[in-house]
Amino acid sequence: MFGYAVKRLLQSLFTLFIVVSLVFLLMRLLPVEGYFGDRFQKMSVGEVQASLRKMGLLDPWYLQLGRFYAGVARGDLGVSFIYRRDVPITKIIAPRIPYSAGFGLVAIAIAMTAGLAMGVGMARNKGKLQDRAGTVYIVFVNAVPLAVYLLFVQLYGSSLLHLPILFDKYNIASWILPAVSMSLNGIAFYAMWIRRYMVDELNKDYIKLARAKGLPNRTVMVRHVMRNAYVPMAQYLPAAILATIGGSIYIESLYSIPGMGGLLVDVIQRQDNAMVQALVLIFSSVGIVGLFLGDLLMALLDPRIKLAKGGGAR
Amino acid sequence: MTASPAPKAILEVRDLVIKFSLRGRLLSAVRGASLSLSEGETLAIVGESGSGKSVLTKSFIGMLDQNGRVDAGNILFEGADLATFRREEDWLPIRGKKIAMVFQDPMTSLNPLLTVGRQIREVIELHRGLVGKKAEIATVEMLDRVGIIDPEARADQYPHEYSGGMRQRAVIAMAMACRPRVLICDEPTTALDVTIQAQILGLIKALQRDFGFTTIYITHDLGVVANVADKVAVMYAGKIVEIGTTEDIFYDARHPYTWALLSSLPQLGVKGRPLYSISGTPPNLFKEIKGDAFAPRNPRALKIDFEREPPMFEVSPTHRAATWLLDPRAPRVDPPESIRAMRESLRGEII
Repeated sequence: MFGYAVKRLLQSLFTLFIVVSLVFLLMRLLPVEGYFGDRFQKMSVGEVQASLRKMGLLDPWYLQLGRFYAGVARGDLGVSFIYRRDVPITKIIAPRIPYSAGFGLVAIAIAMTAGLAMGVGMARNKGKLQDRAGTVYIVFVNAVPLAVYLLFVQLYGSSLLHLPILFDKYNIASWILPAVSMSLNGIAFYAMWIRRYMVDELNKDYIKLARAKGLPNRTVMVRHVMRNAYVPMAQYLPAAILATIGGSIYIESLYSIPGMGGLLVDVIQRQDNAMVQALVLIFSSVGIVGLFLGDLLMALLDPRIKLAKGGGAR
Repeated sequence: MTASPAPKAILEVRDLVIKFSLRGRLLSAVRGASLSLSEGETLAIVGESGSGKSVLTKSFIGMLDQNGRVDAGNILFEGADLATFRREEDWLPIRGKKIAMVFQDPMTSLNPLLTVGRQIREVIELHRGLVGKKAEIATVEMLDRVGIIDPEARADQYPHEYSGGMRQRAVIAMAMACRPRVLICDEPTTALDVTIQAQILGLIKALQRDFGFTTIYITHDLGVVANVADKVAVMYAGKIVEIGTTEDIFYDARHPYTWALLSSLPQLGVKGRPLYSISGTPPNLFKEIKGDAFAPRNPRALKIDFEREPPMFEVSPTHRAATWLLDPRAPRVDPPESIRAMRESLRGEII
């Protein structure tokens, strides 16, 4: 188990290093306007060169990369050039994360409870009304563009239920619509997968044997079917939780939530190279750490993985 | 059945009919099967795939698929008629406790995420009401009993750490954990290699000797039958067409289907001749079958075989067969040459 964890950790760190370095080096190929914004028009070539030298951008690439990693190690992601000039990036991001992550976590909690309950019900009543109704919901959520149904949620949620139409951090009621909106997709996701894994499990020989042993239906369901069906689901959980940091572009702009959603798109459009770099670092670490934790969780839950030679076999 | 002092019947099946509804149509998987089992006896049910042998035994523990039901007949066991059981609560005191079952494939019969010990303890806790340390001791005892070496350590291992033969032993330990009266083995050795097969059959025999339960084997393998069974029931198209002691069936088979089945044994084929196989396919069980179900595939079929269903004729007190050939008015029809040759070669020799 320990060996497996260390091996996966090293793999993750290596992946992260490749991704971040690649992005960093690609950023160096961008036009230098990205470091000056509007000022660039009024600057002479000499001024531009002088500023670039001052920022260390004319040094060889390996020096720049080394400085960048040294900064990261100190928790310094550099300063924004355009988005909010000369403000440390960590200061720009820090106050936004709690909003995004807060909504994301609440949405996951709603999605897990409702989605798992729904999926378990669907699997137990396979082919019957509940299963079909659930399938309709899943297909609807996946097929209709979220921009459409989320607008309806906002519209009817505010007019019929009299919930606030925009987010206001001092009004708890205004949290409801965005959190619910954010969970709709997750509910469908969890319901669909838990149903699928449970139906798989129900047809397994060991479930037949568990019944033949005389275990009551309930015990078979809880101890054998549901437990086994949750295991493959657990793999995605850490990644989903960490991904909430990124926020939801659409929902955050719909309800004017000051979160992380859309920030990356924004800074790319405005060519704020330093911000892009920092955000890519954060988002890719979050993704990679999520996968790493998911694999560890699987290894904890599924005894077969501990023995798998080569680390990745499942 | 009045000869020797008949031992007490433990399980009696009378005219059992089991139907399945499949896409709005009714399929008769078992069409009136009757048999009686005495305590400590070993019965083998043989027949080709789809003959209803698994379905028949599944009905003894209420494990028919959701779309199946017992349509008529009785399954008498310890003073109750299992055929009338509908609710789960009815079955709980029987299933796994009084009548246990071992399935075909030990590789997939154990839950991969729970330790073997946990899966055995589950049965012991449920049916014997033991908890904690006592249940644990009983679990280890059971593993030891089925020949698992170092049972304490093995109990804490997961199924993937067991070999195929050991897994089947563990499954048997599970089935035996609450000392059932009847053990149903659904092709227990099909998925195992030959040397392990013999070990497992030997183990079941030894356990049967010690605990005195009744065993029902479901198998295609007539070699297994000759090895372990006291009694053989031959099933075809949802009916028991011939039933008798192992000697009756191997030395004095009367039903043309039993002949055909025995002729297709590769071990008994004649050297230099192609192996025998039964031509045609089993009848469609969605339709009402007229006459003897085997008649269309039977080269020696009589005219009446296509008209009326043969009743069970008694050959001897232990031996009965459902074929018009046993009617006093029937013409004399000899079994095929291969069967006669086989009888010659079998004289004085046990397969």
